[in-house]
Amino acid sequence: MDDNQAVNALVRRCVSGDAAAWQDIVQQYHRRIYNICYRFSGSSEDASDLTQEVFIKMYRTLSTFDTTRASFMTWVTTVTRNLLVDHFRKGKYDRITDSLDATPGNQEDGLTIAEQLEDRRAGPEARVRSQETQRLVHEGLRRLSPELREAVILRDLQDLDYKDIAKVLNVPEGTVKSRINRGRTELARLLQRTYKQVG
Amino acid sequence: MAGELQSGMQCAEVEALLAEALDGALHGATLAAFEAHQQGCATCRTMVEEARAGMSLLSALEEAEPPRNLVHNILAQTIGALPSEHTVVKPRGEGWLARLKGRLTPMFAGVATPRFAMSFGMAFFSITMLLGIAGFRFADLRHWDLSSKGIQKAYYNTEARVMRYYENMRLVYEIESRVRDLRRAATPDNTQGSQPQQQQQEAPATNPNPKNPPKSELRQQHQGNHPSNSRDMGGPELASFPAVTLAANPQARQPSAPMYFDGRSVRRTA
Repeated sequence: MDDNQAVNALVRRCVSGDAAAWQDIVQQYHRRIYNICYRFSGSSEDASDLTQEVFIKMYRTLSTFDTTRASFMTWVTTVTRNLLVDHFRKGKYDRITDSLDATPGNQEDGLTIAEQLEDRRAGPEARVRSQETQRLVHEGLRRLSPELREAVILRDLQDLDYKDIAKVLNVPEGTVKSRINRGRTELARLLQRTYKQVG
Repeated sequence: MAGELQSGMQCAEVEALLAEALDGALHGATLAAFEAHQQGCATCRTMVEEARAGMSLLSALEEAEPPRNLVHNILAQTIGALPSEHTVVKPRGEGWLARLKGRLTPMFAGVATPRFAMSFGMAFFSITMLLGIAGFRFADLRHWDLSSKGIQKAYYNTEARVMRYYENMRLVYEIESRVRDLRRAATPDNTQGSQPQQQQQEAPATNPNPKNPPKSELRQQHQGNHPSNSRDMGGPELASFPAVTLAANPQARQPSAPMYFDGRSVRRTA
């Protein structure tokens, strides 16, 4: 029995009223869902609340899960993403994505992000090892637009393949790849600018 | 420059293949054309470098640790609060105890918390203490006859006790009412007939000032009004029964001494 079959059996047990099966599902997926919510919202408190809401929604709609259409992981991620989008539409989370051509502080004589990228000091691999860099990357994620943010989170943090991401986001695979490329690029530019300002 | 053809590949194609190139999924001629285009196109080269840097930053992010109580909160809010919205089909062979437990657990999950348990404990303690003060003992419950006959018997006994109490109270009120009527009937004769005559006869002989009699006269008058200490202590009720009072006192039968009632005692005029 592979992982998918095992998960499907777990879901069937849960739908039939097995509380222990539901507890297993919560134990298996709460960390993953929490991390998606945390990286998307940027706040641990919001992530905790959103994770609980995701599981409440899952509990209500677990019987609608169709094993023939998608894997349980894809279904869980879709539920999470839809709930995050709903919250974003309510204005709970801000969209703070700078244009690539904008200058810091809107100064006319300031360098654009693209120009600042030319002045690189150390490689990103070395920077990310520090806690401060982790915090900056996390802050940078929040400054991406929701479309780019969710795409890079699902790909680079949750390791979903493009096909599953396309299902979750309900967009073509080409759009998924484009959003991932743009998200990565914008994040690198935002962090580069932050480093320059701090330095 | 966007759209420029470099080594057989356009910039749009490079952008489309960028994600797969960073994943290491390009091979052979496609990978060679991708690399060759970057050598000749600075824009695409910058784009690829930025995307690679962003991917490295994201991939290096550590997994966030969820709060410790997250699982507990989720289970409390799902299994505890939303049982009705979940289509539950009980599997066959499940015992009635398990079914009852499964049905009761979500129902009482909201109150099965330490705070509610503490409140219930305090309420039980308070009620038990009040019952103890009131004289109730749980050990007495063993002597209670809780059969249908016993309950019926207790009901009739209680009803009879209530009726007896009611009848006794009615008798007491009736006697009081009679006494009040008699007192009211005797009061006008006393106030209109005896007092003015007495004052007219005694006042010229002893005291020229009828409004301020000396204390000795008042004392004698008081003793004359109340010849018997026992009667004085008896209160107004006994004095209000003239027939009984006259029969018990032989002196009251003298024809030359008419009797008057003032409501408190029998006064004999001179």
